[in-house]
Amino acid sequence: MNPVAFLLGLLVLAYLGSILVGGRAIRGFGLPSGAEYLVLGFVLGPQVLSVVSRSLVDSFQPVVLVGVSWLGLVLGVSYLRVGTRRVPVPHLLGGIALSALVSAAVSTAVYFGAQHFSKLSRLETIAFAAVAGLICSETTRHSVRWVVERHGAKGPLADIAADTARASALFSSLALSVVNAWLPGAALPTFTLVERALVAIVLGIVLGFTAALLLGREFRRDESWGILLGTSLLGTGAAARLNLSPLSTTFAMGLTLVLVSRHRAYFKAMATPTEKPVLLPVVLLAGAMVNVRLPLVLLALVGAALVAKLMARLFCGALLSLSVPSVQNARLEFGVGMLSSGALGLAVALAFGVRHPGAVSDAVLLLAAVGVLVGEWLGPAALRRALTIAGEIGPEVPPPASEPGSLERPT
Amino acid sequence: MSGHGGAKKTAATRAIQAASLVLTFGVLYGVTRVTPELESHLGTVTAVGILLLAGTLMSELLETIGLPHLSGYLLAGIIGGPHVLHLVDHHTVLELSPVNTLALSLIALAGGAELRVDTLRSVARSLAWATLIQSVLVLTLVSGTFLLLARYLPFVQGFSFKQILGVALLWGVLAVSRSPSACLGILSQTRAKGPVATFSLAFIMLSDVVVVILVATIMMLARPLITPGGVISLDDFNVLGHEILGSIAVGVTLGLGLALYLRLVGRQLLLVLLAIGFGLSDTFNYIHVDSLLAFLAAGFVVTNLSNQGPQLLHAIEQTGSVVFVVFFATAGAHLDIPLLRKLWPIAVTLCGSRAVFTIIAGRISSRIAQDAPLLRRWGWSSLVSQAGLALGLSTVIVKAFPTFGEGFRALAIAAVAINEMVGPILFKFALDRSGETDTHEPEARPSLSDAAR
Repeated sequence: MNPVAFLLGLLVLAYLGSILVGGRAIRGFGLPSGAEYLVLGFVLGPQVLSVVSRSLVDSFQPVVLVGVSWLGLVLGVSYLRVGTRRVPVPHLLGGIALSALVSAAVSTAVYFGAQHFSKLSRLETIAFAAVAGLICSETTRHSVRWVVERHGAKGPLADIAADTARASALFSSLALSVVNAWLPGAALPTFTLVERALVAIVLGIVLGFTAALLLGREFRRDESWGILLGTSLLGTGAAARLNLSPLSTTFAMGLTLVLVSRHRAYFKAMATPTEKPVLLPVVLLAGAMVNVRLPLVLLALVGAALVAKLMARLFCGALLSLSVPSVQNARLEFGVGMLSSGALGLAVALAFGVRHPGAVSDAVLLLAAVGVLVGEWLGPAALRRALTIAGEIGPEVPPPASEPGSLERPT
Repeated sequence: MSGHGGAKKTAATRAIQAASLVLTFGVLYGVTRVTPELESHLGTVTAVGILLLAGTLMSELLETIGLPHLSGYLLAGIIGGPHVLHLVDHHTVLELSPVNTLALSLIALAGGAELRVDTLRSVARSLAWATLIQSVLVLTLVSGTFLLLARYLPFVQGFSFKQILGVALLWGVLAVSRSPSACLGILSQTRAKGPVATFSLAFIMLSDVVVVILVATIMMLARPLITPGGVISLDDFNVLGHEILGSIAVGVTLGLGLALYLRLVGRQLLLVLLAIGFGLSDTFNYIHVDSLLAFLAAGFVVTNLSNQGPQLLHAIEQTGSVVFVVFFATAGAHLDIPLLRKLWPIAVTLCGSRAVFTIIAGRISSRIAQDAPLLRRWGWSSLVSQAGLALGLSTVIVKAFPTFGEGFRALAIAAVAINEMVGPILFKFALDRSGETDTHEPEARPSLSDAAR
């Protein structure tokens, strides 16, 4: 396929994505994780129809890098709030702890599986285990929002679900910087691993401060895009060139920006409507990059990771039920309901693929893609059931969200 | 392009901007020194980031001394580019060509959308005289200057007088090309309204068509003078006629489609503009349609055959706020400073004479057309800038006359570099002095994300 035609196709997808930003559309059209675009990419890609060749997909790697990094920025900017409600600190800490727990469980399963049943090198084994854990630690907030909005859910369980999903982004976004700093080829060889990992995050913090400082005094709206895009691209490019993690850099930048700037609401309103238009082309490209022709042992490890994720989520549901009364009667459903993964998992897999291409990164991307599909299949239905059991789903669907650009449920 | 108005900035803000700019350049320069393997390839993504951030900051800083934002973007590109700090290399500059394509299509679309029939009618007399006199007088006098300076030009040494005359005519036609991008850039920043702004916009947009015709005519006349045994052929006109008519037809169709879309849907304009800029420009090139003319016609149709013009202009302005910064900063990075250093005496003389003849022609045409005093005084100010169009024409000339083309092009690049830097400053100065610059703070304007909706 001609690159220009492919680019136009991606723009059309972005167009569709921007339509899906509206609150009305999200309840009635499309899947919460954008899984249909993942499948579309896979079908068009070299594994099935070959309409989009591997070399063409590879030539769009800078687009993937920028898209992934922009998603990181959006996640950072929107991290601390669900709608107009600030995520309580205990919920944040709990969400981060749960995602770390899931990550550890999946990493352990993959590590021992790979060590015993595969001939992967030690480096590949550790990298696979670590990134598989990061991918599985995410719960996509879109899935939670989709269920909550579609069914008009309101109550403590809905809040816990939204907050936990929101909080889960931090762990994988920042921990990826450690993986990238650890992999061979990272710049700054005289630095220790922790220092290299911190460079990516500190770069994001410095850029976030710079952007906040530049825009924070006599604020001009029309220069804000130049500053915001410029700093994020600078961070993305610099981190990528140093073989560090651009996703971590932009996430840290977004988070810093909303923490220190008094215009945080404006930045959030600016960035969030761009998420879907960026996300869908990236998801399509991810689908086209998925490679299922992998050694059997890698496919088995992908399966093992998914099983470990399911078990870990069920454990998390049980764990939450000990401290949160609304989860007690629906711990199984809640655990499965938090299985949904989406943009961040794919972004982590894509970022890893850019950094460390090969069979392991193919397996990691496959894990992310299958995780999205499985999560899509099980997650929303289970979450709906949990909310029904908790009595938080009302009999009637409320009117559409009044704010067209909002990605959050109305509060 | 950043708007002119907004909250007034304090000295502390300017200090922060200056510190950020120095820090951005300094840190990246330091990184490329510490890790030399990164020096020549910081990457396209980083390059866009540098150009965007440094361009925005530099424009803000130069604003304090009354210089246009466009000069800030150019200067940021020059400093970050391959000839100064080498943060953006030649290869990366070439890789950014899709941004140029997008920017030029947006510029042409906006240019067309700014041209209203009633406005054109009001300045028709001035336009007609200015087009005639600027074309004839500037072409003749600049060609004459070139003839006088020919002995100092290495690429015409050994040529007969007839051949030098042919080359001089080609230089003359290059001199009558203007820069639509610079004109729109300055007007967008200053939000100027008045006779100088209206005349400048109309003249420069129409001169695009005039120059295309003039180039074909002069090349047809120059060929027998330069090439022994060459004959005048009307084939060029045949091709040109098809191209112009085809471009207008395609542009009108696109304009009607756009107007319909704006009326029926009117959302996600950012993405529509990106699709048009990236997708259609290539398609137009493929079918030998002049994309600048086609987009100009499309914008003109949207404004004059529907009431969607303001909506289109607003969306272009929002999209352009980022694209134009990168476009002009890339142009700055593209400037060949060593070549300019080598050819500056002759290039400055040619540019100076062009500017003087442009002013004289402007005064004469204004007098004949009985223009308002303001237009008589400042009407020429937008006509000094040159940019991509002149460089594009020089490439056409290189292809048509390979025997001297490369030397000719080098001189053209040097001259365009000077006009590109000086022209926008003159135009903004004129708009400020004529009182057409909008000094009021605009109402809080929506952001780029609105264009995405």
